[in-house]
Amino acid sequence: MRAIDHHAWSNRWSDRHPAEKLVPALGLLGVALVSPPLTTAPLVWVVAVFATVFGAGVPLRALLGMLAAPALFLLAGAPFLAVSLDFTEGFALRFSPEGAHLALAATLRALAAVSCLAFLALTTPVVDWAPLLRRIKVPAGVVELILLVYRLIFVFAERAVTGRRAQAARLGYSRFGHGLRSLALLAGGLFQRGLEQARRMEIGLTARSYTGELRVLRAEQPFSWGRLALGLLGVGLVGTTSGLLARALP
Amino acid sequence: MSAPLLAARGLDYRYPGGIVALRALDLSVERGRKLVILGANGSGKTTLLLHLNGTFRPARGAIWLDGQPVAYDRRSLVRWRCRVGLVLQEPDDQLFAATVEQDVSFGPLNLGLPEPVVRERVIEVLEALQITPLARRATHTLSFGQKKRVAIAGVLAMRPEILVLDEPTAGLDARGVTRLLDALQKLHEAGTTLVFSTHDVELAYAWADDIALFHEGAVRVQGEAAAVLRDREAMEQSRLRPPLLLEVADLLGAGQSGAPTPRSRESVVALLRRRLAGPASPVPAAVTVEHSRHR
Ligand SMILES: Nc1ncnc2c1ncn2[C@@H]1O[C@H](COP(=O)(O)OP(=O)(O)O)[C@@H](O)[C@H]1O
Ligand SMILES: [Mg+2]
Repeated sequence: MRAIDHHAWSNRWSDRHPAEKLVPALGLLGVALVSPPLTTAPLVWVVAVFATVFGAGVPLRALLGMLAAPALFLLAGAPFLAVSLDFTEGFALRFSPEGAHLALAATLRALAAVSCLAFLALTTPVVDWAPLLRRIKVPAGVVELILLVYRLIFVFAERAVTGRRAQAARLGYSRFGHGLRSLALLAGGLFQRGLEQARRMEIGLTARSYTGELRVLRAEQPFSWGRLALGLLGVGLVGTTSGLLARALP
Repeated sequence: MSAPLLAARGLDYRYPGGIVALRALDLSVERGRKLVILGANGSGKTTLLLHLNGTFRPARGAIWLDGQPVAYDRRSLVRWRCRVGLVLQEPDDQLFAATVEQDVSFGPLNLGLPEPVVRERVIEVLEALQITPLARRATHTLSFGQKKRVAIAGVLAMRPEILVLDEPTAGLDARGVTRLLDALQKLHEAGTTLVFSTHDVELAYAWADDIALFHEGAVRVQGEAAAVLRDREAMEQSRLRPPLLLEVADLLGAGQSGAPTPRSRESVVALLRRRLAGPASPVPAAVTVEHSRHR
């Protein structure tokens, strides 16, 4: 979470208008989901990785790190799609060609889809989604809450890390039993401090004339039709190429 | 004499649970001065500051603005808080927005200012605190010192007449303290009245025009900084030691000649060097003995 957030804030495209990233990414995702996966998915995957690494300048390691978990999950699941249980003559575990095809298709498609989402997550800070959410008529209170929670996650993460460190320094995790007890104490303590934090934050906000609405300036992110068109052109290219490939290959 | 800009008269306050935090407290904040509220930990400084902008309401007594006791209805509170800006000790208690620029814009937007004006103010305040490059940064990626300055910027953007800061230097390193004090000095020169709390006597001596010495929920003495710090009885009762610089300066006889007492480390060192080099009047032995007995 911290790493993703870090790259979202520091990549080359982080100041670009979110729609310029969202629309092409969703377009690419759409292509990956509707086109024949064997030819399209690898292409989509490569394009998404290129855009993230060479376009936005997010380190390849960060991207692969983010893709690793879903990839492992998919690879672990694929064999179960490829085999089928056969009950006709007693009981047999059978490898089926259709099953294998299905497994490969599903895995590739899912990987391609995940890489499109990874592109979005790594290039666009959570905060930038707020104007889009407002535009699609998500209630203002909900958007405020999302942003506040986003901010508080980091406050609490910091407290949790320092709290755990302090416990460990006093040997709170030296044995399994101790570890459980320490963890319970930490969780209880964090909850109590969370309430306390909320109370003090209200004091802080009231000092700045808070009246129940968390209004802040929106960053100016000039929207460019040109860049959006360029992105969509890329998506179109991927779509046509995959269509041609599908026709060329049997 | 005209009425002080801001004053507390006879404040009593106890926390739920019965802890008495303030008792019969009196304080005056004079326009354009730098006032330090000096007291040991737990003496009630934070509780007092929370009264100064109407966050807490005293059980007895009142806060006075321009010689008028302030009311606690909604409209009075809004006007009050526009004039008295409060910066909390812990920046994480104050910074709620995801980016610096957004957080700083919160106060001015609440004042009902139009967006272009708010944008200008944000730029201006970030400039004044020398954090312009942080404008677009995510709040949680800042260092403690940076967060602290952003928290101050957020209050400053509302252009308060009186800026009240709770232990502003706590947790900062030496350079951070210097930068903060420089920024505050600029505000002071621009006409803002400053109040801050601390338990650091050296800091109070280096910086304050006036000092209010705190002890067990009341101001024991308030007055010109060096005079308060020389009040041995009151200082001892507040469990504070006089600042080293002032003691040295006094030993060198700086206070007696009528000239202003040197405040900075550099000027005291220069004075000491002159004494050690020249054959001028030796340090009076009696004073030395008397002072050392007090330690
Ligand atoms: N939320 C609270 N509930 C109960 N007692 C409190 C609370 N906050 C502070 N106190 C008590 O009030 C007294 C003054 O505290 P405080 O104003 O924080 O002092 P200072 O800022 O000078 O360190 C202390 O005895 C403290 O324990
Ligand atoms: Mg305090």
